[in-house]
Amino acid sequence: MASFGSVHAWAWVHKWSSLVSTVFLLFLCVTGLPLVFTEEIFDWTNPPPAYAQLPANAPRANLEHLAAKSRQMYPGQIITSLFVDDDEPKVVVTMAPSWKELKRPGADHWIKFDARTGQVVEESHLKRKQGQPIIVFIRKLHADLLMGLAGELFLGVMGLLFVIAIVSGVVLYSPFMRRMPFGTVRVERSKRVRWLDLHNLLGIVATAWMAVVGFTGVVNELSAPMFGTWRANTVNRMIAPWQSKPPIAQAELASIDDAFATAQRALPGMSVISAIYPGSTIGTPHHYFIWTHGKSPLTSQLLTPVLVDARTGELTAVVPMPWYLRALELSRPLHFGDYGGAPLKIIWALLDVITIIVLGSGLYLWFARTSHDRTASRRPWSDRASHALEPAE
Amino acid sequence: MNWYKTIGVAKQWGMPVGLAVLTLFGLLSALLGEGGIWWWLSWAALSTPLLVIARFWPLRRLLEKRKPSL
Repeated sequence: MASFGSVHAWAWVHKWSSLVSTVFLLFLCVTGLPLVFTEEIFDWTNPPPAYAQLPANAPRANLEHLAAKSRQMYPGQIITSLFVDDDEPKVVVTMAPSWKELKRPGADHWIKFDARTGQVVEESHLKRKQGQPIIVFIRKLHADLLMGLAGELFLGVMGLLFVIAIVSGVVLYSPFMRRMPFGTVRVERSKRVRWLDLHNLLGIVATAWMAVVGFTGVVNELSAPMFGTWRANTVNRMIAPWQSKPPIAQAELASIDDAFATAQRALPGMSVISAIYPGSTIGTPHHYFIWTHGKSPLTSQLLTPVLVDARTGELTAVVPMPWYLRALELSRPLHFGDYGGAPLKIIWALLDVITIIVLGSGLYLWFARTSHDRTASRRPWSDRASHALEPAE
Repeated sequence: MNWYKTIGVAKQWGMPVGLAVLTLFGLLSALLGEGGIWWWLSWAALSTPLLVIARFWPLRRLLEKRKPSL
């Protein structure tokens, strides 16, 4: 049993961790609510292009043919990446005037092909005229307050405070609820008592979900530094021997189909999903940097890159992924709630609303604290002081 | 710890711990399981906290309390 002194300390921790973070967490919960349905909202505001109706086993078009077609459409430009989807029958080719130009935002553009017929179905400059999809904007707000890395780290700290508030809240649940059966809401008492009981009930019932989503949110906010560390420690060391060599001209590249096949042979159980062309800031001037992922719901979250020699199309290396990036990859679905069909999304949204009520009621309890609470909290903690935690009428 | 204290702790923490275990099971079963039955188990497990809230939310009692003053 916690002593009264330690209850006081935990109450202090709960109060301050919550007070500092609640406004931002309310913001995260409110912006997070539509994000649970990102896929649906995106498809609704940006309907996918009309693909040809073909049998499911229709073969994929030759990728090098699509690359050549892209270069014909934009003579003199380079291909920066090629992405193959496994949900939609599409191949997306991203292009730019040059690698140097790519550093300028908006210099790149993409062409979307039907993966089977090789027909162009969409182009970015036509899409961009319609403006940024609203859900993309909300996602940016939610992830970094439109402030880039600084915003990500700031929200990460807020998330950490949220986790601390959850832990201290669980500790405080014990002294608050000791004399009452589970689920008691004292409706006959004042409004503040009623909301205190509801805050405790909703808080304790949703604790595990809030802790998981809060903690995985913090991990997600650290993705930029984690990828930076991995690139500095693993990737850059692997690619150092090639880094100073002159880049391979696009006309001299090995076929992208050969490169995909090489990656597939190196990792037979994986799906090969994209290639970054040699010359990008990730990768080397001499390699296709090819991303693969697993095929089950769990392993599809786990990406493994492969370096393929861009002149010969042969395997150079499979790039190892460290544990912290695996943890990041697993924390994504557990934060997004997008891995169990529509019912899971609805449950996610409802638990998000419960969290909003817990946060809002917490804020209310602080604002509606009575003068008795204020003086009591300054009094030395005595044997009777646990009653001071319970609000006066 | 005395036996009656142990009972008290079990009584107080039975529901919270049970719900936390169910929640974690629900979160993992959809992630680790390959669809099908694991999704259903996940939906059932994760709905439980919501049903518990619905059960204890004092909506009905509040209405009853307000009636006499109408």
